[in-house]
Amino acid sequence: MSQISRRQAIAILGALGFGATAAACAGPGGTTAPGGATGPAAPATGAITGKVSFAHWRGEDKVVFDELIKRFAALHDGVEVVQDISTSNDYNAQGLQKVRGAAIGDAFATFRGAQFKNFTEAGIYTELKDSKAAANYQPGLLSAGKSGESQLGLPYQVVFPMPMANADLFDKAGAEIAPKDWDGFLAMCEKLAASGVTPISWPGGDVGNGGQLFNCMIANNAPVDDMCAQIEQGKLKCTDDWFIKMLNQYKDLVPFLQPNSTGTAVEPAQNLFSQGKAAMLATGSYHIAAVRALGAQFPIELVFPNTSDGNGKYEGAYNATFILGVNSASKNQAAAAAWIDFLSEPENAAYYANQTAQHVSVKDLEYTNPDLKRLSPWLDKKTALAARFQFQNLDVRNAVEASATAVISGTSPEQAAEAAQKIVDERL
Amino acid sequence: MSIHPGTAAKRKAPDSRTATGASKKRRSPTRVNPALYLFPLPAVAIIAFFLVMPTLQAFQYAITDWNGFSAAFNYVGLDNFVRAFTKDSLFTNALTNNLKFVLMVVIAQTAFSLVLALLLTKNSRGSILLRALFFFPTILSSVSVAFIWKFIYDPNFGLANAVLGGVGLEALQGSYLGNNAQALYWVAVTQVWFHAGQMMVVYIAGLQAIPRELYEAAEMDGAGKWQQFKSITWPFVAPATSIVVAYTTVQSFKAFDLILGIAGNPPKQSLDILSTRIYSTFANSEFGYAAAQSIIFMAMIALVTWLQRRLLRLTPKGE
Repeated sequence: MSQISRRQAIAILGALGFGATAAACAGPGGTTAPGGATGPAAPATGAITGKVSFAHWRGEDKVVFDELIKRFAALHDGVEVVQDISTSNDYNAQGLQKVRGAAIGDAFATFRGAQFKNFTEAGIYTELKDSKAAANYQPGLLSAGKSGESQLGLPYQVVFPMPMANADLFDKAGAEIAPKDWDGFLAMCEKLAASGVTPISWPGGDVGNGGQLFNCMIANNAPVDDMCAQIEQGKLKCTDDWFIKMLNQYKDLVPFLQPNSTGTAVEPAQNLFSQGKAAMLATGSYHIAAVRALGAQFPIELVFPNTSDGNGKYEGAYNATFILGVNSASKNQAAAAAWIDFLSEPENAAYYANQTAQHVSVKDLEYTNPDLKRLSPWLDKKTALAARFQFQNLDVRNAVEASATAVISGTSPEQAAEAAQKIVDERL
Repeated sequence: MSIHPGTAAKRKAPDSRTATGASKKRRSPTRVNPALYLFPLPAVAIIAFFLVMPTLQAFQYAITDWNGFSAAFNYVGLDNFVRAFTKDSLFTNALTNNLKFVLMVVIAQTAFSLVLALLLTKNSRGSILLRALFFFPTILSSVSVAFIWKFIYDPNFGLANAVLGGVGLEALQGSYLGNNAQALYWVAVTQVWFHAGQMMVVYIAGLQAIPRELYEAAEMDGAGKWQQFKSITWPFVAPATSIVVAYTTVQSFKAFDLILGIAGNPPKQSLDILSTRIYSTFANSEFGYAAAQSIIFMAMIALVTWLQRRLLRLTPKGE
């Protein structure tokens, strides 16, 4: 072997260092513009075979998806669907980086709002407007997956981010389960408290779940439907009268929440509810399966904290989320699209819904799960699309929602509003 | 087969003289085969690729407004750095929280681990068992620790309030992590519980290296326990203290997983520290700004560590 001189060796090391420096100095980015000039393309067609990664955050639905995967594989020889599951918080924070490039997530789901927007801007979605799957959805519920004229994603789940109620405890206390206005809601809480239970279990120590109540509290207080988008744009302010009024209503709730509610994580809050110690769990219908798993056997209803004086525009709040899509960078788009088609067939969507106790956006299906059957009338009520997902900036969202937590901790509504608005102003 | 560079050179020297004959040049006895310089190449490549390159990239990203996924971005100069200190109260809040956290943990953990080490220096059976017990939390993952303490601090079903209630101290029951004024202190308690055992081991090693004769001589001179500690123990454990303080500082700055596990993601403002703030900024698709925050974070750790060493005089002269 010919020898390398010391000079040559140093030159090689130097070249390596220079290469690393040069590579580091390459500009960030490097992806093509989303969709190109003609907009996103439909998923490629071809043989339905090979491995499909399905990226999502619903760990609690894994077993149900496993069964659906088995049924899907039985229909298509040689296809294998693997679930890549993250926790919801991690998926919200890192989902785009994980799915981008399609190392995982040939098929994937996104949250409505900031995450869907970022995925759209990054060009990760393909066009599903003319897909077989899209035709199976209720048209009114597809808007959360639209970007301009394109139908990029299919919002699979319909959830009601409203307090769940233990109907037995309400009956026992003689409390009205559908209050018509704010005074009625407080009177209902009074009756529940008088019957010896905690009226509301609220996970104030968990930003994501604790923030769901915000959807109800803001729905009938705000002057416009896109109130959160307008707060973010500086058109509305947290220091406006309507917002302060809402914070004062949060203050009204303090005597009806469990003690030290701002330090309560979601699991203990669920436990208080499932054990019958609290009459309501202020998260949403997406927790039905969890509280059933904790042993709750009572009938579950939904309660809308109606903040209006009786003339409110909305009777409840809902969210269309778990927005399914096919990855534009996937090398197996045909199989990924077939998987989305499969999930969107009424029979399979019904299986998913009934097993996970979650309503879905797919039309013409039959709910057999008793909880879903009981809560199905809410699908036809005049409900507001969950406002907190209008925020595109997570810092703004957290700051605005934190104002409610601060009020419950004892800060005055005016001070809490000012603190939130300061952060909003910094990000305008 | 291992090659000793010096041996190879020595063996080679007479051969080359014989081969060239006329050559009068003598090789240095320390001269090595230049090809051996290539041996560290894989390690250098890994360091360059995984450490140098990302660090340099962070500096470049820090002067852009890149969102993390677009092809388009703008160079914004030092705007991101200016924004962090003048127009972002969430960042300055996280910085303040982090400095408070570091201060609390460094003082408490150093003191606690030194006390434990002093009590458990002897190699008796009891001491060894207790050392193992105190060291045990260190081998747990930070996520496990976070969940254990999350349960302890839960105001409804948690151990802390249950114990207080059980002994009739209901008045002391609290919200712990739900109390914004106290939350950071409770996480500091967790951090100290988590790592004090590890630091205790460092101190025990330092203490066991102190010659017994010094204490015997001090006793003969009439020095009390405190004087012995001040004049013998403390100066001799200075190198160990240096390690403990530096390590605890870096650890406290980077208590990312503990905070995220105990406070959720994103943590509320009262528990937001620099590493979690940087993560939130990345999650908010502000990569350029997050890179600038990371550089400030790095500079902050270096500055605080340097200041500590200067103030505590932990760096011996000449080093």
